[in-house]
Amino acid sequence: MSLLQVQDVGVRFGGLQALQAIDLAVQEGEIFGLLGPNGAGKTTLFNVVSGLTAASSGSVRWRGAAIDGLSSHRIARLGIARTFQNLRLFNSLSCLENVLVGMHQHGRQPPLAALLQMPTFRRRESQLRQQALELLSLFGLESAAHQNAANLSYGDRRRLEMARALASRPQLLLLDEPAAGMNPSEKDDLKNLIRRVRDEFALTVLIIEHHVPLMLGLCDRLAVLNFGQRIALGNPDQVRRDPAVIEAYLGGTP
Amino acid sequence: METGLLVQMLLGSLLGLSVYLPLRCGQLSLATPGFYAIGGTVAALLSTRVPALGISDATYPLTSVMLEMLLAALLTGVLALGLGRVVLRLRGIYLAIATIALVEILRVVTLNLEFTGGALGIFGIPQPFSGPEGYAALTFVVLAVVCWLCDRLEKTRPGRAMAAIRDDELAAASQGINTADTKLMAFVLSALVAGVTGVVAAHFLNSWNAKLGNFDASITTLAFVVFGGSRTWLGPVFGGLLLTALPELLRPVGDLRLIVFGAVILVGPLFFPQGLITPELFQTLRRRMGRSAAPSPQGGRP
Repeated sequence: MSLLQVQDVGVRFGGLQALQAIDLAVQEGEIFGLLGPNGAGKTTLFNVVSGLTAASSGSVRWRGAAIDGLSSHRIARLGIARTFQNLRLFNSLSCLENVLVGMHQHGRQPPLAALLQMPTFRRRESQLRQQALELLSLFGLESAAHQNAANLSYGDRRRLEMARALASRPQLLLLDEPAAGMNPSEKDDLKNLIRRVRDEFALTVLIIEHHVPLMLGLCDRLAVLNFGQRIALGNPDQVRRDPAVIEAYLGGTP
Repeated sequence: METGLLVQMLLGSLLGLSVYLPLRCGQLSLATPGFYAIGGTVAALLSTRVPALGISDATYPLTSVMLEMLLAALLTGVLALGLGRVVLRLRGIYLAIATIALVEILRVVTLNLEFTGGALGIFGIPQPFSGPEGYAALTFVVLAVVCWLCDRLEKTRPGRAMAAIRDDELAAASQGINTADTKLMAFVLSALVAGVTGVVAAHFLNSWNAKLGNFDASITTLAFVVFGGSRTWLGPVFGGLLLTALPELLRPVGDLRLIVFGAVILVGPLFFPQGLITPELFQTLRRRMGRSAAPSPQGGRP
């Protein structure tokens, strides 16, 4: 059974058909890429999967069970975490607190123990902090742990968002343009980091990115969207040679 | 300083905290005076109409005041739970308008109901203490408990969730936070604090009428938080203490005092947009204390 299955999903915003009859299945453990020009509907598809936008038709299945119509916090609790294209960090909180918020669903403690600061509460809380610091150091952010997220550089903010998403211990990680605004060497590092994270956390990754070489080098399989439709699906070699993809990216012959 | 003024200042702090709780969650609710009025009305009615509570005793028993607090908390809590579900669907200024309407509805209802004493209100609320010192002690204890709860809240998971919602509600929901429930919790806590404060105030003021929970009170209590700061619980406590005391302390200035008071409220947010007390202030203080002579690595605020 596929981990995530998108079946015949369509999204309509008034007169605009943002997505039309999208079908794809993401298998456990793979890095699955979504390619496509601006406005192709990639982020809309992410929003449908993470519960921010309701699909007008079709359904989304998680391990075989329909999840469309669930609110986004319920979907997050199923094990689907995401980052945002236009960075949505908690800017008045420190990096450490951002990651701690990411751990929300695992940090539940009995209220009385929390109020009275009982030893069990303190032990668990310092355990969570330790885990958060480890995550930060995985992304090279340990020295910024107590800085406000708003004060970080752009690349660091992108990395912090990934750390926050991983903090919920997801099974599926949705990355929306994680390399945007990064320089070539940072992009290379990012590629290795995503692979490493996938292996260490036993993750499945669904990734949107514009940088075609990065995507072809990183993904196990790719889907290409254009004007809300899926125009190609396959491994990097198949996608590279696909005439429809070449036409969408390079302009077709009349 | 008069002890009576001190009691009013402490009550102001409590109302500031009541406005602060939803605001820390990003919700601009001005319903505090409404729940304050309900608390006061509950206390006034129970203590004057229910003889079993001890109105005929020489001093009104403190246990009866506790019971009133409990009942007021229960009533405001249940009411806030029901109302919050509905009004918290609104955001920003629309929530503010809806909650102002709520306060106005309550005021007009209290004004026109027979059993709440109409425009005159309820008189002769029995006194559990012989002087203001007792009230100061009681209010201080209530304030201390509420501050302690706020402090624990801020340092634990629900407090972090509230701050996350304030910063970015959509991103907070994507971290698995039930934003609707968290906002409702803040709203209910706010109502509880206001209700309990109303009970203390009703006994202290000796009489209770509809005017005590009006639109002016909404704005004044909001000013406590804007002036003091809405990032830590110390902000509204400080704002409530200072802004309640200021008109009294300015009495020597004569007729100018309200103008000066207005100017202070205006100038405060101009120079301290985050309020006077912020987490950054504590960081700066800690740094200064740590190495008093060394220059700070970062200049000023951004």
